[in-house]
Amino acid sequence: MNGMLLVAGREIRTQVRTKGFFVGLAVTVVLIVGITLAPKLFGGPDSYTIGLVNSQELAVHGGGDTEIEWRTFSDEATARRAVLDGDVDAAMIGGTAGIRVLSDGEIDSELGLMLQAAHREAQIQAAGVRTTPLSMESIGADTRYEETRSQMAFMLVLILFMLVVGTPMMVAMGVVEEKGSRIVEILFTSVRPWQLLGGKVLGLGVVGLINLVVVLAAGLGAAFASGLAVDFPPGMAGIVAGIVVWFVLGYAFFAAVAAALASLVSRQEEVGNVLTPMTMTMFASYGVAFFAAKEPTSLVATIASYVPPFSSMVMPVRATAAATPAWEILLSGALMVVAVAAMVLFAGRVYERAVLRTGARVRLREVVGSR
Amino acid sequence: MLQITDLRKTFGAAKRALDGVSFAVRQGEMFGFVGANGAGKTTTMRIVMGVLQTDEGEVRWKGSPLDFTERRRFGYMPEERGLYQKMKVAEQIGYFGRLHGLSPVGARKAADELIERLGLTERVGDAVEALSLGNQQRVQLAVALVHDPDVLVLDEPFSGLDPLAVDALAEVLQERARGGVPVIFSSHQLELVERLCDSVGIISAGQMVASGTVDELRSSVGRRLRVVVAEAKSGWADGLPGDLRVENGREVLIATDGDDQHILHAAVQAGRVEHFGVEQPTLTEIFRGAVA
Ligand SMILES: Nc1ncnc2c1ncn2[C@@H]1O[C@H](COP(=O)(O)OP(=O)(O)O)[C@@H](O)[C@H]1O
Ligand SMILES: [Mg+2]
Repeated sequence: MNGMLLVAGREIRTQVRTKGFFVGLAVTVVLIVGITLAPKLFGGPDSYTIGLVNSQELAVHGGGDTEIEWRTFSDEATARRAVLDGDVDAAMIGGTAGIRVLSDGEIDSELGLMLQAAHREAQIQAAGVRTTPLSMESIGADTRYEETRSQMAFMLVLILFMLVVGTPMMVAMGVVEEKGSRIVEILFTSVRPWQLLGGKVLGLGVVGLINLVVVLAAGLGAAFASGLAVDFPPGMAGIVAGIVVWFVLGYAFFAAVAAALASLVSRQEEVGNVLTPMTMTMFASYGVAFFAAKEPTSLVATIASYVPPFSSMVMPVRATAAATPAWEILLSGALMVVAVAAMVLFAGRVYERAVLRTGARVRLREVVGSR
Repeated sequence: MLQITDLRKTFGAAKRALDGVSFAVRQGEMFGFVGANGAGKTTTMRIVMGVLQTDEGEVRWKGSPLDFTERRRFGYMPEERGLYQKMKVAEQIGYFGRLHGLSPVGARKAADELIERLGLTERVGDAVEALSLGNQQRVQLAVALVHDPDVLVLDEPFSGLDPLAVDALAEVLQERARGGVPVIFSSHQLELVERLCDSVGIISAGQMVASGTVDELRSSVGRRLRVVVAEAKSGWADGLPGDLRVENGREVLIATDGDDQHILHAAVQAGRVEHFGVEQPTLTEIFRGAVA
């Protein structure tokens, strides 16, 4: 156990010290924060500034968290200048014939509707008529969070794809580095193969987890800072915890596959080639997960969310994109755990037998069958 | 004592690499393992270090079968050297110390001492890939020595070293042997083995053809008489045992059997005896005789 922790410690130290680690992390954080804020930056604004001349503030009820800031101007000329300079989105000018709304170009349609409705309401109330607002109620599925959920799911696909593909790749490179340089021969006199491999997978897993946690924190932080977080569906903490658990399972599976395949070759140039079956599987998972983010309740997404190793990417995406019963998640998780255990045993066997056989590429058949 | 008994190893279906290899190395003994390329030295050492499994036979240390825990106290330099190219010298040596069971402080101390002892002080902070081959070899040695091993197993540690580095390495190994550590190393440099080793094992095609102290091997070959007679008539040695050779333009009689007193008498009769002595066979000659 101690040997394994020493190996893991070395892996973590080696990775964390490189410039690439920080640059990679920074790039991902910027990307995630950017994507989180993008709807806000590129979508319509949800706060408006309205200039007032001889008129009253209106009780505007916009959708969601729309805010209106009112600014009073002394005369129409100043208000007009403010509109043209872009200081205010529109100006309401009171006069004998009613209120005129001035804007630079055609008024933002949402704003126009809101002002119109608020103004009508105010006039009716002034006439002494009591009004009651319509109360809206959905009697079908709760779809309030659908849009946020699917946005989060798309982001998750992106994050999981980067980390679940990238981290096992580092495991493969490490295995070949040790095999190719023949350093395994010395290592095996003081640590057992399972300790060396386990330590490597553990250490790089921690590095991957650091990445994941930082990226999730950045995304959530950006969402809270920008006010997007009010749209978060209930059970958000569970969704985030689920993502971390699914990452661990998916990583463990693919890291084992990567280690087994990489132990067959002796040179870094051969790694890409020997990993092809794994990368194909990953891309397939990615494709299905992408689809599941859009159509979380489709048959394909449902089936794929049970089949390891696809489930490790599809299930968290599905559970993020749409409310998913806990028993389904647990069942799929249990299947994945079994798959991980089987793959770890198999990979350990292949690794132990192949990693000392340098030179030509070892055939999988040669190491699986014997003894 | 490290006892290697009747190791047998076959690779694949037909390739028999070891066919009954046995020898023993006592505490403080320097054991030279010699043999032609492909004779089975590396295979034997890998089995001792647990990197390969033997088909038959066993390795015993202090009387009982060698296990993983005891083997962690061994130091090993494989034939194909290997280090983490991007790791710094001091850190690398310390890391191996930790893997061999040293405490963090103990590992750092041991690494510092070796770095000083092996003249790597100016290189502590360099990545291994930035070092010259000679210095990389020193780091490799440090990795084998860092945990103050109970046994040293070194596969061709002298290959590729310049004469000064050979002397430095020899001194380090002798120092360890004096400390009671059995040292096994393989080498093609027979003069070096002869100079350094208390005992020698000769392996040929997977079988031990000779092993023992250098003196034992010599006496098994037999002593050799060397006689030089100045101004002797040609044919003076006719009828005597041995061969007459010409060395530097003079006739020299080399005899491995026969009555030395009889030969001496004949030589005195033939002329002025310039040289008459018993000569030790060199390890090279023993080796040639053994593997022939
Ligand atoms: N992994 C292996 N697979 C097949 N044959 C091997 C392997 N390792 C060594 N051999 C063979 O075993 C014999 C002994 O090799 P080795 O122990 O390396 O000899 P030495 O170190 O004395 O030069 C050689 O004929 C070699 O080809
Ligand atoms: Mg060899």
